[in-house]
Amino acid sequence: MTETLTSKKLAITFFFCLIALVAVMALCAVVGTQKVSLAKAFSGPADTPGKNIDYEILIGVRLPRVILAALVGAALACCGVVLQAVLRNPLADPYILGISSGAGLGAIIAVLSGLTWSFWGGSPIAVFAFIGALITVWLVWCIGYLAGAGKSQVTTLLLAGVVVNAFFAAVIMFLTSIAKSDQVHSTIFWLMGNITEKSQSVLWVSAACIIAGIMTLFTICHRLNVLTFGQDQAKALGVDTAATQITAFALAAFITAIAVSLSGLIGFVGLIVPHAVRLVFGPDHRRLLPVSAMIGGAFLVVADTIARTIVAPAQLPVGVITAIAGGPFFLILLAKYSRKVSWLK
Amino acid sequence: MKKFSILLLPIVVVAGFIVISRYQKLLSLPTDEEQVKQPLISTQKSRDKTTRANKPQRIVSLAPNITEILFALGLDKEIVAVSSDSDFPAGATNKKKVGTFWQPNTEAVIASKPDLVITLWFEQQNQVAETLKRLDYPVLTLKIEKIEELLTAIQEIGVATGSSQRAERLAKEISTQLNDLQSKFDSGYKVKVLWVVQPEPLRVAGRNTFVNKLIELAGGENAIGQTIQQYPPISTEELLACGAETIIQTAMGTADTSEQQKAAEKFWSRWKTLPAVVNNRIYVVPPDTVLRLGPRLCQGIKLIANCLHPNENI
Amino acid sequence: MSDILKVENLCFGYTPQSAILKNFNFEIERGSFVCIAGPNGVGKTTLLNLLCGLLSPEEGYIEVDTAPIDSYSVKKLAQKIAVVRQEFVPVFDFTVKETVSMARTPYLGRLGFETKPDINIVKEALQITDTAQFASRTLANLSGGERQRVFIARAFAQDTPILLLDEPTSLLDLKHQVAIYDLLKTAQRQKGKTIVAVTHDINLAAQYCEKVLLLGADRSYRAGSTENVFSTEQIEKTFGVKTFTGRVGREKFFIPLGKFAKDCPQISKNLNSEKQK
Repeated sequence: MTETLTSKKLAITFFFCLIALVAVMALCAVVGTQKVSLAKAFSGPADTPGKNIDYEILIGVRLPRVILAALVGAALACCGVVLQAVLRNPLADPYILGISSGAGLGAIIAVLSGLTWSFWGGSPIAVFAFIGALITVWLVWCIGYLAGAGKSQVTTLLLAGVVVNAFFAAVIMFLTSIAKSDQVHSTIFWLMGNITEKSQSVLWVSAACIIAGIMTLFTICHRLNVLTFGQDQAKALGVDTAATQITAFALAAFITAIAVSLSGLIGFVGLIVPHAVRLVFGPDHRRLLPVSAMIGGAFLVVADTIARTIVAPAQLPVGVITAIAGGPFFLILLAKYSRKVSWLK
Repeated sequence: MKKFSILLLPIVVVAGFIVISRYQKLLSLPTDEEQVKQPLISTQKSRDKTTRANKPQRIVSLAPNITEILFALGLDKEIVAVSSDSDFPAGATNKKKVGTFWQPNTEAVIASKPDLVITLWFEQQNQVAETLKRLDYPVLTLKIEKIEELLTAIQEIGVATGSSQRAERLAKEISTQLNDLQSKFDSGYKVKVLWVVQPEPLRVAGRNTFVNKLIELAGGENAIGQTIQQYPPISTEELLACGAETIIQTAMGTADTSEQQKAAEKFWSRWKTLPAVVNNRIYVVPPDTVLRLGPRLCQGIKLIANCLHPNENI
Repeated sequence: MSDILKVENLCFGYTPQSAILKNFNFEIERGSFVCIAGPNGVGKTTLLNLLCGLLSPEEGYIEVDTAPIDSYSVKKLAQKIAVVRQEFVPVFDFTVKETVSMARTPYLGRLGFETKPDINIVKEALQITDTAQFASRTLANLSGGERQRVFIARAFAQDTPILLLDEPTSLLDLKHQVAIYDLLKTAQRQKGKTIVAVTHDINLAAQYCEKVLLLGADRSYRAGSTENVFSTEQIEKTFGVKTFTGRVGREKFFIPLGKFAKDCPQISKNLNSEKQK
């Protein structure tokens, strides 16, 4: 990449990736356990349910699912990119700052409180998981801010995240064991990560939030580039490090919390996709972020399609497929990085 | 300040979408009242009226106990698909499968062209139920976590499938059997039972569980006192102090239980001071009648009772 | 010639008990090449960090280009001062060209895309520092000396009137040390940049710098021309090391005399003659 990145070149790259994503989504929408004829599907919904099942399956079941997978994949990949930059750590993933345990705690609390109302077609588990995730990130940030001083802030944040994750995990285990309801088992299952069909309204709102979040993150990408050289260097190059870091954390946490509330904890997407894209397109975040969003979305769509077809009519949790794909890839990454990166030496 | 105005952008975008979608009636937030009045069978359209003009001819069941109830009501011809863990009665295994209890496959459900889908109240099943309701399929959601709820559920299924009379009879049958069993063992010695969920590490069913209710109906008493956890792990100390007279273990899977029986007896033989071990009252029972809240409930209770009172004929 | 950097009554300490600088006064003229020298731990890097705005003084006043340092936003200050520290390999493998392009950050628009003038400045900086040949290599694939040149190229691309360097050559071989100081001197002469370099090498400092700020223990300091400040007595007082100070043409040189310095009549004779002066 000797040529300087211009907005025109970026737009072209982004456009092609977008086309690739849409193509993948369309292809996966026609793959599934039931054969669907496109002609019948596009003739529109029938008056009574059960008459045009091709339409119902394609538009009512598969399409929302594929759209959701793309959104969650994009959100997780972007969060991974941003956190790896701000924490200057290639092993950072979206859950590193306590989001995973925060969401789990929120979910368990929702179940224990026995609420049955639904909010915008989303269950109380989703809403509480979202709130739990955000509160936990805020908590980790406070600990990191108070305990860390200037240079060591990144390390303190990482440690705070690890500690909070561990502590909340213990609390979750305890609450799970005393819960009086069989619902608890389904909560654990929910946390494993699943892509399910959601209502239109939920999809619209989530899409709006996630896309807005990613677009805003894009505006700080050139500052993220500089931030990877260290806080002092970034300040010397005119970057307001505090504002950039807060913006990055807040937005990354926000879109991840939405993703988690929609689909539970799907691992490996936020860790692997940024690395894969970096290998091909280089570490410039102005290109890395949008392309990771597209590739992350496509990756999760494909993973979900495999998850729902490979052991039909049963389904695997999508996290299983991402782990199987991501695990070996991660090992390869580790081998590659350990030779070159100074922080491992 | 300019930087923080960027943070306002997503809020503005979200607010914009909310306004637009409200305007286009994409969102319809149900109020609390609507939620309460809503009958359990619901589709997107029929919030105010129940749609059971005809007796359903194609029923899909997403839980094994629901499948058993449907068969018990004589509806085996109307059942078109069941969850893959529906294994009783024999006819159920021949039905088309639509995913597991934890992950029902919405596409398969739709492909079976049902006119009634019956689910249990669980997060994963609720998701599927919501999707089906949005596509205007009639869905009946039941909560069956206690014995009383089982009887209510049988009646609701009866109403929904147009077989209320048979449902009433079935419910009454079960209820009478329960009363008989209860009165039989109400007075008399309560056998101390240890219900083992997992031998290693040792976890037992506590007093807050449904299984405990069955034990009490069968004339037993949980050897473990009140615990904060539903399925507490217990220490060896506790085990030796509890004085269990009978140990019941649920078998893993539906394979031959005699192997597991032998293994269990060997496992427990190390605690020679336990009355259960001394008198060799260790039983491995198949789980589907005792852990499943279905029409074979009384069979399950009788099974337990036989373990507790081996000398009596029940 | 006005002063481009002015420090008045500066007081700073990392903890309330230990003060590293107290009542420190210093001016740097526009377009001069100043070196900051002194033993380890005396506060050279601290002073540098104060000058570039990374640390805030407890008391005192720092002025950058006739405006107080507090009045500058981070962005504006980066358009005045560029800092070069010890080279390192960053976590992510940016190429040389991308690294140097980051110097244009204080001048970029909202989305951070470089314009034609930016690209030209970067190209020029790469050419001056003789790093254009590495433009598409990642930093990890360079030697230490080459990397240091890249970081200096980045500082040049930042196009600032002031350049602060923290021991830019301490890990480099002789060839690269000289090359880098030549670079800096050329930038001073041709572009009128003000260079402030923290260094351990007093010989190089004497050759290249006009002015020196010699920091001593216990918050003492001496500022002046290298001619005046660098003398046998001053060096012995500050570093605790005897040196033989000599002259070749107009260049002064200093040879440290440790316990095992070879006994050479010429040296001892000159040593005595120095003492007599």
